[in-house]
Amino acid sequence: MATLKVEIVTPEAALWVGEASSLIARSSDGEFTILPQHTSTVGDIVPGVVRVQTGEGELAFAVHGGYFQVGPEGSEGVTLATVLAGVAERTSDIDVSRAQTAKERAEAAIAHEGRGESGESAAHAEATAELERAELRLRAATK
Amino acid sequence: MAGGQERILRRRIKSVQATRKITKAMELIAASQIARSQARIAANRPYRDGMKRVIIEAAQGDPAAAKKLLETPDKVATAVVLVITGDRGLSGAYNSSALRAGERLVKRLRDEGTTVRLFAVGKKAAGFFRFRGLEVEESFVGFADRPSFADARTVAGVIAAPYVAGDVQQVLLVSTRFRSAGSQVVDIEQLLPLSVPDVVVDQAPAGLKGYTEFEPEVEQLLTYLAPRALESEIFSALLEGAASFHTSQQRAMAAATDNADDLGQSLTRIMNRARQDSITTEIMEIVGGAEALRSRK
Repeated sequence: MATLKVEIVTPEAALWVGEASSLIARSSDGEFTILPQHTSTVGDIVPGVVRVQTGEGELAFAVHGGYFQVGPEGSEGVTLATVLAGVAERTSDIDVSRAQTAKERAEAAIAHEGRGESGESAAHAEATAELERAELRLRAATK
Repeated sequence: MAGGQERILRRRIKSVQATRKITKAMELIAASQIARSQARIAANRPYRDGMKRVIIEAAQGDPAAAKKLLETPDKVATAVVLVITGDRGLSGAYNSSALRAGERLVKRLRDEGTTVRLFAVGKKAAGFFRFRGLEVEESFVGFADRPSFADARTVAGVIAAPYVAGDVQQVLLVSTRFRSAGSQVVDIEQLLPLSVPDVVVDQAPAGLKGYTEFEPEVEQLLTYLAPRALESEIFSALLEGAASFHTSQQRAMAAATDNADDLGQSLTRIMNRARQDSITTEIMEIVGGAEALRSRK
């Protein structure tokens, strides 16, 4: 039997490891689905929601950018799909009110920055990244 | 008088015991931190291994592009050296062995005619190198005990910047590797260009070679991937450094506690002898006094 093993890992911990029927994510080339027996692939993942279909239903993860690798695993018929993300979380673990405050804070920081002279400062980049993360969290959690 | 000496000894014993309490507490704290930091190393492993696999796969996909990006240049005019140490002392040789190795490396590079730009993690490095006439460009402090991935990202961003700009040709890392609870070794490693083991091409399962798909194409992928791989390498070095720090501190504090025990024991013996001496002297005086009274009769 062909099976798909999915690993969603961050530097701090392996977020989820288990058997799945499919994995849906978006790379810079567009959305893709990984099924068992998928050919070996390496690619990037743009920030967005990664969906994993398992026997017990669908799991969704907010992945803030990363990479994936698909390849055969040691044992026969097992395809291993690894998602490597710097920051990622289960959508069910997202604290909506916290993400909302983070979003407002980041927006305020950007507005404040906008009045200053420096357009592309490190603080600005950080606030923009913060805003993107917060927006993705909200999008993922409310979907 | 003898009684005075006894009092001094009593005071010293008290102070030794107070110190022992502190070292014992530090030992226990360090021991609990060892377990935690080891767990963090274990939790980081899947990511680290996955990152390595992706790099290896990408490097195999387009060896020419990989070579351009990953090969060490023949001549290194300027190199960045990053030394990872702890923020606190009282940890045996942990800080000093990494710092010494860093100093030796800088010296060797200079002898080869390479300009060195020095960066460090940990409070101890700046002072150490300044004393030896080497300026640390930037010290990252405050997270050596418990590094987060965001910290690794900050460090990676700063040290990669001159490499990306083309000002330096090589980035080297001096850090303590946590081999096991009993063995931590200071190691020098090349961070940039990324080091991909040469054997990887042979390791690929036959028949699979060249059949991997890439989105987007390899060259672009490698360019994006390099900074992520650097972050991952630095993060695991920070985690291993933290674990080594705690292990080293636990060992140092256990030795200090034992020492305090020994010292307390020998001081107690000296004190008892002093007390006994003073008692003997007193008895002798009383007996002598009584003798004198009797003989006067």
